[in-house]
Amino acid sequence: MEKNNEVMIRVEGLKKSFGDLMVLNGIDTEIHKGEVLVLLGPSGCGKSTFLRCLNLLEEPTGGKIFLDDVELTSPKTDINKQRQKMMMVFQHFNLFPHKTILENLTIGPTKLLKQSQQEADAKALDLLNRVGLQDKASAYPSQLSGGQKQRVAICRALAMDPEVILFDEPTSALDPEMVGEVLDVMKELAHSGITMICVTHEMGFAREVASRIMFLDNGVIAEEGTPAEIFGNPKNPRLRDFLSKVL
Amino acid sequence: MKRKNGYPAGKNSAGKRFLALFVLMTLLLVMALSGCGKKVEASFVKSTDDLGTAKIGVQLGTTGDIYASDYEKEGATIVKYGKGTDAIQALKQGKVDCVIIDEQPAKAYISGSPSLSILDEEFVVEEYAICISKENTELKEKINAALAEIKENGTMDKIISNYIGDSTQGKYPYESPEDVDRSNGVLNMATNAEFKPYEYIENNEITGIDVDMAQAICDVLGMELKITDMKFDSIISAVQSGKADVGVAGMTVTEDRLKSIDFTDSYTTATQVIVVRNGKSDAIADLKAKFYNNFIKDSRWQYLTYGLGTTLLISFFAVIIGIVLGFLIAIGRSTCDMTGKAKPLNMILKAYLTVIRGTPAMIQLLIIYYVVFASSDINPVLVASVAFGLNSAAYIAEIVRGGIMSIDVGQFEAGRSLGFNYTQTMRYFIMPQAFKNVLPALGNEFIVLLKETSISGYIGIRDLTRGGDIIRSNTYDPFMPLIAVAIIYLIIVVGLSSLVSRLEQKLKTDGR
Repeated sequence: MEKNNEVMIRVEGLKKSFGDLMVLNGIDTEIHKGEVLVLLGPSGCGKSTFLRCLNLLEEPTGGKIFLDDVELTSPKTDINKQRQKMMMVFQHFNLFPHKTILENLTIGPTKLLKQSQQEADAKALDLLNRVGLQDKASAYPSQLSGGQKQRVAICRALAMDPEVILFDEPTSALDPEMVGEVLDVMKELAHSGITMICVTHEMGFAREVASRIMFLDNGVIAEEGTPAEIFGNPKNPRLRDFLSKVL
Repeated sequence: MKRKNGYPAGKNSAGKRFLALFVLMTLLLVMALSGCGKKVEASFVKSTDDLGTAKIGVQLGTTGDIYASDYEKEGATIVKYGKGTDAIQALKQGKVDCVIIDEQPAKAYISGSPSLSILDEEFVVEEYAICISKENTELKEKINAALAEIKENGTMDKIISNYIGDSTQGKYPYESPEDVDRSNGVLNMATNAEFKPYEYIENNEITGIDVDMAQAICDVLGMELKITDMKFDSIISAVQSGKADVGVAGMTVTEDRLKSIDFTDSYTTATQVIVVRNGKSDAIADLKAKFYNNFIKDSRWQYLTYGLGTTLLISFFAVIIGIVLGFLIAIGRSTCDMTGKAKPLNMILKAYLTVIRGTPAMIQLLIIYYVVFASSDINPVLVASVAFGLNSAAYIAEIVRGGIMSIDVGQFEAGRSLGFNYTQTMRYFIMPQAFKNVLPALGNEFIVLLKETSISGYIGIRDLTRGGDIIRSNTYDPFMPLIAVAIIYLIIVVGLSSLVSRLEQKLKTDGR
């Protein structure tokens, strides 16, 4: 995949601790536009925390995060405005159960981006169409299967026209037979050129789609590289140990 | 959805069946109760000598109460009732052996009950006077002068003879002179209008000897008379706190009372008498006659409709205050819990909830009326609305906070990650779901609140319960008015419940 040199997210010395527990211990990286970054690591290594720090769902204990050269970690920044460019897809979908699928997709664009209801509806239906769920527009989340819910959640993120989408273990809560339909959507998305940062345990997806893989261990980047480098020639012993367990 | 409330929701026919069942049950209850007017033996009390071993009924805080307690040492048991009517009713039912009470109310009571007699032996002769704050010596002197004047010119005798004495009753209704200049202010009078013939309610107005006398005094002094009806044992505190200028309620001067309050000169003498059962049976009137007497005669049903209006008014405003304040407190507390900020605010809110939930609503009502709004002349209905609203807010706050806490944190994160700020997230995503979850509990709280307002009578409000009391104090029949009041409450509560479950049903259909 072509690498775009424009820096989208810059992370400098990111630290996060919960009480005495140090989870992230100084992370420096740059994420470029169009990149599909996959975060790997043993459980508890801090990959989800790293992802949640990027949109400040977790407040970093130290370090700086820039999105398009705007410092998110600065108290002067309107974080709500910045978050609109950086959507998140959750492990447990977190659709709004009291709203229909269509309303789930349009509430953001209408209330935050000031789109007209018509405009938002048209776009939402188009997105649902792309993931094959147009007939569920007036259903409620409780009427959907897990895989359908997650596809809707991805559509909800896309409806906001974000520059980056953060995926926090999007397939971990799904029944095995539903993982595929969600990964298919994500793969298609990756090819569309949007910037993606994914925490996942789907090694196949990482190998096939990632432009870069980052292996976190003990709160730091232990190793990073292309899928070929990571899977073909892992250097870090912890990474080799990890891969031997998951592959 | 986690919970269900008790009623089968929505179905109209089910609701009707439910209601029919209730009406049937209450009718059966009425019949059962009226059937049990069994004959009770005559009292063994024949004179004051027998009091030492008797169970004596009195009205709380009256001189009868004080005198009766003298016999406690000899082995008598004193049973104190809030109202004279209740004491008389207890006597009829054999719960006490005699009742010591003022002569005139006693006469009124026994006139409707052949089974009761007054012992010939006079118990105590005492003097009635107007109670007044110790600081208010100027007003006391003015009232004393006015009292002397109306005694002198015969007005007082006429007023008394208008109410007492078979041949003179109703012949001398007191009327104010026409051209009285009332520029000398307002005289706030506290009374307890359940003490015929001194003060009682007739045609929805407080009337009686004390009322006419107070009016006559005001006419002499050039003042406006304003009467507040309250419990007898609240009168002295009302005068002390400045809520009322004077207490006029057939009140006897006693040493205990003189410790906390002053009295004017006496305006009449009265006798305490002993009421006993004579062994005869009350002719039990048939249901129809009872019904007529309790509700139709003198348009007594109006006490219930008027009271119902007041009850609904208080409940309505209390619910509004409770909801607004309750939601604010709940949101404030959840925000503090979630962000860990504004700790002092959280402490204050917590203290509020602890105090309100840790004390009885009646005490709060009395404190707000007599302490918080002590000296201001404020509408008691407003006070009650505020008091019940503040009370309800504490419960609603905890219910709503529970509802907010029950929403998965993922909902909050989803809202925030889309770019909604805290307030928007609460408004669009958290509160609608929380509201739906707490609706049954909220509905329950409203029902509790509605019934709780039945203590409004303590600050002189004529609510539904008090309406029933007024009828009781006129007819001396406890069953019909109490059952009627119960049925009315029941109907409102059942209606309210079905309304809540219908709303719940509606919310349930949009959403999971």
